[in-house]
Amino acid sequence: MDETLGTHQPGPALMLPDVLDLRAAAPLAAELMARRGQDTELDASRVRKLGGQCLQVLLSAQVCWQAEGRRFRVVAPSSDFTEGVALLGASSLLPTFGA
Amino acid sequence: MDPMAAIRDTFFQECEEQLGALETGLLTMEGGDCDPETVNGVFRAVHSVKGGAGAFGLDALVRFAHVFETALDDVRAGRLAPDGRVLGVMLRAADALADLVRVSRDGGATDAERDRLLVEDLKALSGSPQPQAPQPDAVASGSADGGDMDGFAFQPLRFELDAPPAPAEQNWTVRFRPEAGLYAKANEAAVLLRELGRLGSALVTLDASALPSFPDLHPEGAYLSWTIDLATAQPESAIREVFEFVEGDCELDIAPAAGQPPGDTGGIGDIDLAALIQQSQATMAAAPVAPGVGAPRAAEPAPDTGIPNPGRASRPADAATAPASKATIRVDLDRVDGLIDLVGELVINQAMLAQRVSEAGLPRSSNVALGLGDLEQLTREIQDSVMAIRAQPVKSVFQRMPRLVREVSAMTGKPVRLLTEGEGTEVDKTVIEHLADPLTHMIRNAIDHGLERPEDRAAAGKPADGTVRLAARHRSGRIVIEVSDDGGGINRARVRASAVAKGLIAPDAVLSDEETDNLIFLPGFSTAETVSDISGRGVGMDVVKRSIQALGGRIAIASRPGQGSTFTMSLPLTLAVLDGMVVSAGGQTLVTPLTAIIETLQPRTGDVHSLGSGATVIAIRGTFIPLVDVGVALGYRAEPLDPARGITLLIENEGCARAALLVDAIQGQRQVVIKSLEANYRRVPGVAAATILGDGRVALILDVDAIVAASRSAAGQAPEFTPAAGFAHV
Repeated sequence: MDETLGTHQPGPALMLPDVLDLRAAAPLAAELMARRGQDTELDASRVRKLGGQCLQVLLSAQVCWQAEGRRFRVVAPSSDFTEGVALLGASSLLPTFGA
Repeated sequence: MDPMAAIRDTFFQECEEQLGALETGLLTMEGGDCDPETVNGVFRAVHSVKGGAGAFGLDALVRFAHVFETALDDVRAGRLAPDGRVLGVMLRAADALADLVRVSRDGGATDAERDRLLVEDLKALSGSPQPQAPQPDAVASGSADGGDMDGFAFQPLRFELDAPPAPAEQNWTVRFRPEAGLYAKANEAAVLLRELGRLGSALVTLDASALPSFPDLHPEGAYLSWTIDLATAQPESAIREVFEFVEGDCELDIAPAAGQPPGDTGGIGDIDLAALIQQSQATMAAAPVAPGVGAPRAAEPAPDTGIPNPGRASRPADAATAPASKATIRVDLDRVDGLIDLVGELVINQAMLAQRVSEAGLPRSSNVALGLGDLEQLTREIQDSVMAIRAQPVKSVFQRMPRLVREVSAMTGKPVRLLTEGEGTEVDKTVIEHLADPLTHMIRNAIDHGLERPEDRAAAGKPADGTVRLAARHRSGRIVIEVSDDGGGINRARVRASAVAKGLIAPDAVLSDEETDNLIFLPGFSTAETVSDISGRGVGMDVVKRSIQALGGRIAIASRPGQGSTFTMSLPLTLAVLDGMVVSAGGQTLVTPLTAIIETLQPRTGDVHSLGSGATVIAIRGTFIPLVDVGVALGYRAEPLDPARGITLLIENEGCARAALLVDAIQGQRQVVIKSLEANYRRVPGVAAATILGDGRVALILDVDAIVAASRSAAGQAPEFTPAAGFAHV
């Protein structure tokens, strides 16, 4: 598991790891599941790569949070993250917010 | 096995296939066939190697492949004419690429200077400034050990290009739905989408409607699909190439856009998102906060959400539009071998059962005997099918030869054209594996010793380019492989002088042309005045002959002065079973390979003549043929059998010379399963292998050639009994 994922990061934002690939998907889902029912911010400032499976996790979690009336925000996206979301055609589905 | 190592292994296996296709394609082009599909195939091969190498961080390989690919792209686009000079460079580049693949797999180093010069040559071919080689990040950000297998770094790339499309551009709609296996094999949708974007302007629309609710989501599943409206000047094949590594792991539909306005195909808008939220709420109401609900379902199709999904509306057509390639699987060879062994046991068991039934005295018309006949038929069919699994075209060996020819041609300074025929001829994998060394040596030999120097060829009125022909075909249940050259033929005077000088034959020995030619198969024979780098590697034609014989094969030579030589190898299609004649000799049961037997006959006393030196001949239709008593030859008895009380098998050996084997009786003809005597006991002269008969006894399979040869040497004091005396040539 990537050590940058969440637990070592102070504050409420979940720090997304730099590589969101196949291997990051399960840890990311677990981290998010642990925060279920809470307003959640994800800090995407370090992300260099975004793959399809992590995008799935983010999209599904976002829907779940919204359905439960909780806030789910991706903040401080790196240009790579924004580019990756656009590349995967998800810009309109996964809005991001400045830091 | 570490999954990454397994993927890497697969990559290198596929590299071998791609390199083979590359070489074949280039040679086809060299032969004048520059069909776009051939050129595309060549391009694809290099592109695939590059793509895979990128995923594993094999930077040197990627860099070289990139330059190669660029030159090929120029050929593909018609900017570079594939003439002899261009293809010469490309063939050398293919060799260098193969070396780089080998080094990437096995370690070691390639000839860096050669690679550098080739890169320059390739760049010079394109004649224009090269596109920048891919940034290491673009192809692989991972380490060489594959520790970081993502390989999809971000690069600045726009997907919605404002520039007006070039006139030749066509609009395509690509629907792409990855399955979990795609990701599991270290492929990534994002990388594929980026590749697609490189082909032209792409509008990517994501369809997330199959996404399950979060508690049900398996993080390593695959729920997203994409519709890409692509405007590109590239052909459909270029689009398919992007997906070639993932074809089996995704649903893919590529179709001309048919006038659809971009962005009008599928996608998910606010309605879908709202529906997703609704659906998610419904699901959660039914099963609130239950992480255990919804077990991981990595490979399952995404659950039906009941949400209208325009992006998938056209999917039923996918099957029809998918490339109609045959599905194949890779199977561990040990499993196939295990199956073959088991089927071998089945054959033996079936034979034993048949024997028991026969011993029980059941009539042939009884139900048991009839059922057994069916079982035998079925067993044979199973056996044939299992053997077919191991059968492979000889192409895998043949395609290694062009490179060898180029190398030897360069070393000897003799221009050579290699013609191959019958590459699709299939033979058992074990036979193929053992073919490479003898063929390599024979081809080296054909160029080094067979072909004349260009000036000598010109003097003889021959084309400057020598021709070496490599051909394979099936004949009478065997595979026949010929290596022929159009050189000067065997210099018999020199061969003879060399054999006399080496003490291999007596100075006054009387030898036929054929026997003189066959002297080159004698151990220790070499006519090369200087040991060359090419042929003089301590491997003589005797080793070639021995390795062919070890496969149950025969080798023969035919040479015509001034016109060239032909080496003909005849090999069994499989090393697992044999159709044999079961005979008894000296109280032992033996099996004679059926392929060697021409006919069987009952000798008459008057036809058999003793020649005084222990040798005997038999007159068959006016020709005298050496008669070999098998029981004596194998040491089962000291006294020869009275020919009138035995049966003779007329056999033909590798040199088409004939001999008659005298045995006590013929028991019948049957297929036997070959068990290696060498592996289970040791090599026995005159015996090729062993088998287990229906009654459970072990029977030896005769090495007919060896028995005949041994009996000839036993009668060596009487050279008139050799084929030179004219007895054996029928």
